[in-house]
Amino acid sequence: MAVAAPGQLNIEESPPSWGSRSVDCFEKLEQIGEGTYGQVFMAKEIKTGEIVALKKIRMDNEREGFPITAIREIKILKKLHHENVIKLKEIVTSPGPERDEQGRPDGNKYKGSIYMVFEYMDHDLTGLADRPGLRFTVPQIKCYMKQLLTGLHYCHVNQVLHRDIKGSNLLIDNEGNLKLADFGLARSFSHDHNGNLTNRVITLWYRPPELLLGATKYGPAVDMWSVGCIFAELLNGKPILPGKNEPEQLNKIFELCGSPDEVNWPGVTKTPWYNNFKPTRPLKRRVREVFRLFDRHAIDLLERMLVLDPTQRISAKDALDAEYFWTDPVPCDPKTLPKYESSHEFQTKKKRQQQRQNEEAAKRQKLQHPQQHARLPPTQHTGQPHPPHWSGPNHPMNNAPPPVAAGPGHHHYSKPRGPPGGPNRYPPSGSQSGGYNQNRGSQVGGYNSGPYPPQGRGPPYAGSGMPAGPRGPSSGYAAGPTNYSQSGQYGGSAGGRGQNPMGGNRNQPYGWQP
Amino acid sequence: MAANFWTSSHYKQLLEQEEVDVVHPMDKEKGINLEDFKLIKLHMANYVWKLAQHVKVRQRVVATAVSYMRRVYTRKSLTEYDPRLVAPTCLYLASKAEESTVQARLLVFYIKKLYSDDKYRYEIKDILEMEMKILEALNYYLVVFHPYRALIQFLQDAGMNDMSMTQLSWGLVNDTYRMDLILMHPPHLIALACLYIATVYREKDATAWFEELRVDMNVVKNISMEILDFYENHRLITDERINVAFNKLAFKP
Repeated sequence: MAVAAPGQLNIEESPPSWGSRSVDCFEKLEQIGEGTYGQVFMAKEIKTGEIVALKKIRMDNEREGFPITAIREIKILKKLHHENVIKLKEIVTSPGPERDEQGRPDGNKYKGSIYMVFEYMDHDLTGLADRPGLRFTVPQIKCYMKQLLTGLHYCHVNQVLHRDIKGSNLLIDNEGNLKLADFGLARSFSHDHNGNLTNRVITLWYRPPELLLGATKYGPAVDMWSVGCIFAELLNGKPILPGKNEPEQLNKIFELCGSPDEVNWPGVTKTPWYNNFKPTRPLKRRVREVFRLFDRHAIDLLERMLVLDPTQRISAKDALDAEYFWTDPVPCDPKTLPKYESSHEFQTKKKRQQQRQNEEAAKRQKLQHPQQHARLPPTQHTGQPHPPHWSGPNHPMNNAPPPVAAGPGHHHYSKPRGPPGGPNRYPPSGSQSGGYNQNRGSQVGGYNSGPYPPQGRGPPYAGSGMPAGPRGPSSGYAAGPTNYSQSGQYGGSAGGRGQNPMGGNRNQPYGWQP
Repeated sequence: MAANFWTSSHYKQLLEQEEVDVVHPMDKEKGINLEDFKLIKLHMANYVWKLAQHVKVRQRVVATAVSYMRRVYTRKSLTEYDPRLVAPTCLYLASKAEESTVQARLLVFYIKKLYSDDKYRYEIKDILEMEMKILEALNYYLVVFHPYRALIQFLQDAGMNDMSMTQLSWGLVNDTYRMDLILMHPPHLIALACLYIATVYREKDATAWFEELRVDMNVVKNISMEILDFYENHRLITDERINVAFNKLAFKP
């Protein structure tokens, strides 16, 4: 947060009106996503013409008012401000059904709709990677990985676990910027909280072994496992651990990473479900063997991400320091990346469907199972990342969709540049921890000599069950003269938030579901 | 939620005394003056506190709930937002925001148990409906920072984390939620003010420690004076005066 120049105001926000605008301020253009929780639309703000994404928060099934998942997401997004984290612009409402449905029983008045307004992003990583014929270049993969890790490091420093890192939640705009989205499963892991988080999070293919073994105390390492899976997927051209169910997922993990034991993962035998899932025979770690075609630095980094023991898994910060990002070809500048026609998994799928229908009509032939195209591994060219290396016949920029009518989705609006990139976009050390805590001059006082103001965060990995750190006992609230029990019936974890994000299919497109 | 206070909405939204001490025109019409306004908010803070003891939530939830309520009334009138509904709803919302969810029906149950007065009687649907209004009034900014964490750190750093000092200063911080301080000052300064009062009260010499802080001690002393003034006045607050204030609110012009 910079101080405004003389003569300018320090307040960025427009004058408050203390009420939400109506969704009528926007014109819905096209649905771009659909999840279990509601729809996501591309929309245009009528006044400014700006394109945004509207994510609907469904209220109709809520017996407990405003959904706590939405509260979490809003709370988290309102405090995260980073170029690699999706920006929540505002929240708008539409009136509920009470106006025309007077006859309905009581209790419907609060059931209007709520929409979260996000900056619009052209693609998600899965949608982009699934484009037929598209292959990423090595500098491009490094560029995405670096942004992913930078954004995630920022979240972790701010004590937020994303808990659903996967390709369709990584949005990419036509400036080459990658942003983490869908914080609907995210949680803050502050220390006044004794752990006990749900292990039913993270899409199965990206879920780390500790969650599959039933851990309820965990930290940022869970996200890093997912990053490892995505990294390997980018290099490999297809998902590396596509388990169909939880036991199979663990098996696939063990087959790749070896079987866990007290040597490589102290404490693993005490995890809740170890005895149910332990491999029947010892397995060797095969990461290097399986991915032997990757370049050396990529394997080195991957090896440190796909570590069974979460305490030994590499952190986002250390990953940014990995040789991989500092050897040729180095990550390219996002701005030099090719611009692609809009693609979200939801749209790509729809488009393919439509294409199929056209073909059907043409050939009068029913194609029950369209051929799955395999993604291509990255090109090994190390030179300039652009123009993009397409292997397919349809070359560059606008990969004109074959016979499909161009819907409103094929916009190429220009939008204001994000925050200045500049040379310090990626600090050489990869460590940005200092930068997130601007010390507001003398107001913080000299009490803390470090970059942490008194209310600042604790050690980034204070996670659960962290013993008293510099900020006092993690159960700080019990220390005082209070009568409130901390772990009372309703205290502690939000426990059964139940939903298991889509066991192992990727049918939940686009990263905006609440 | 422990992120960085200095980049938080809480910090950006800190208000001046003159902005907080504004009686909404609609309330003014009913004859409510600044004293009444403060009394009603005080009474409602106590209400939240009592309710919280029954539903057993952490102290932090109470502090957040009271902060929400006070923020709402910098923007909305008592007339349109009945404090007897706003208070429990703020607790309801804060319990979600602070990850200690309390079911609406449980709140309704305890409201009935605590107050036989019909004016306090609200149903689940009322709470859910008010929740939406409060979210809007708060502009969906739900993160509130509190002095407690800073206080514990200060006590440790000053080597005064014995039982007696901890209890006294902690209690003082609790009492600050009976005033609007949380809307106006950074939490760590409120913590320092409470600590300062506690040292004076317990006759501990912490001058050197305070001097080393490089905090503007004038601000800390001003906050301390406000707290002491509050204690002074609090003796004069009777149920009668609170009733008078609520009666004005019930008045229909």
